[in-house]
Amino acid sequence: MSALGRGFSAALIVAAAGFLIVPFKIVAAPIEPVMGLIQKIFYFHVPFAITMFVTTFTAAGGSVAYLFKGSERGDRLAEAASELGVVFGACVLVSGPLWGRKAWGVWWQWDARLTSSLLLFLILNGYLLARRYGGPGGKKLAAALSLFAAVDVPLVYKSVDIWRTVHPQTTVVPSLDPQMRPAFWMSFALVLLVWGVLLTLRMRLLHARARLAELELAVEDLEEVRT
Amino acid sequence: MRIRTFMTGVVMAVVMNAAAAPSVLAQEFVKVENAAREQLPAPQFVGAAYAFIWLAVLGYVAFVARNLAKTRTEIEDLKRRIERAGGAPPSGAGGRGGGAA
Repeated sequence: MSALGRGFSAALIVAAAGFLIVPFKIVAAPIEPVMGLIQKIFYFHVPFAITMFVTTFTAAGGSVAYLFKGSERGDRLAEAASELGVVFGACVLVSGPLWGRKAWGVWWQWDARLTSSLLLFLILNGYLLARRYGGPGGKKLAAALSLFAAVDVPLVYKSVDIWRTVHPQTTVVPSLDPQMRPAFWMSFALVLLVWGVLLTLRMRLLHARARLAELELAVEDLEEVRT
Repeated sequence: MRIRTFMTGVVMAVVMNAAAAPSVLAQEFVKVENAAREQLPAPQFVGAAYAFIWLAVLGYVAFVARNLAKTRTEIEDLKRRIERAGGAPPSGAGGRGGGAA
């Protein structure tokens, strides 16, 4: 097994162990006095949201490499990262309203944070749709959309500080109670690790499929020569 | 003058009619004692959020695994085609994708 393969296997084992350990840390963390038990959603909602930002920036980086240098590897990175952005974004947009329904009394508010997050999710979906149905120029169109998604990220993050909103502000994580920090940071590390493992797996698969397509063309040529 | 009197009469009639019309909406808010408070079960909401998150992640893993299996089948198919064509199967065909899982 190569060093890369060993590293990947180790990451997989750590991620599996994290799935067993982190829920216990979250249960052990103190209950927030105002919101009560529902605040426990925070330990996964926020790490998934931050990882959604990370994957959007990663996709934009890959898209820049593809658009300006023609890098196929960059294109594959952007595709894998955008797919994960959609998965992680769905997690954020489902866990958030579940929290909001209990804490605010409503499933959804058209405030700046929620609306800009939904917009980011829709742009990432748009990326995948443009790739799939955009025709010959679809990959470039998708890459451009990926840059728009990256521009939306700072807007999502700072929206709670700029506009009046019911959503908690960006000071929540830095001012977290010391007893709540281990659960949060362990959860964040786990989510980031899961993202890294899934991204690596998806990129390898995309690479294999690209190589397979090349080989199929070569085999077709070979078969034509033989006949 | 007559027109003015007529118009005033019409406006007053409309206003009085509107005031007398029965309304289905409550026209005042009254305090109700011992009303049932809406109780939302927090454990179920937390459970639903976690369940969705892990299902989404597992769903993506299943999607990647299915694609991986499809790729492996295609690689095997390609190897057979190369053998039939009389060439040696390329060493990189099983490549990094085949060893990913």
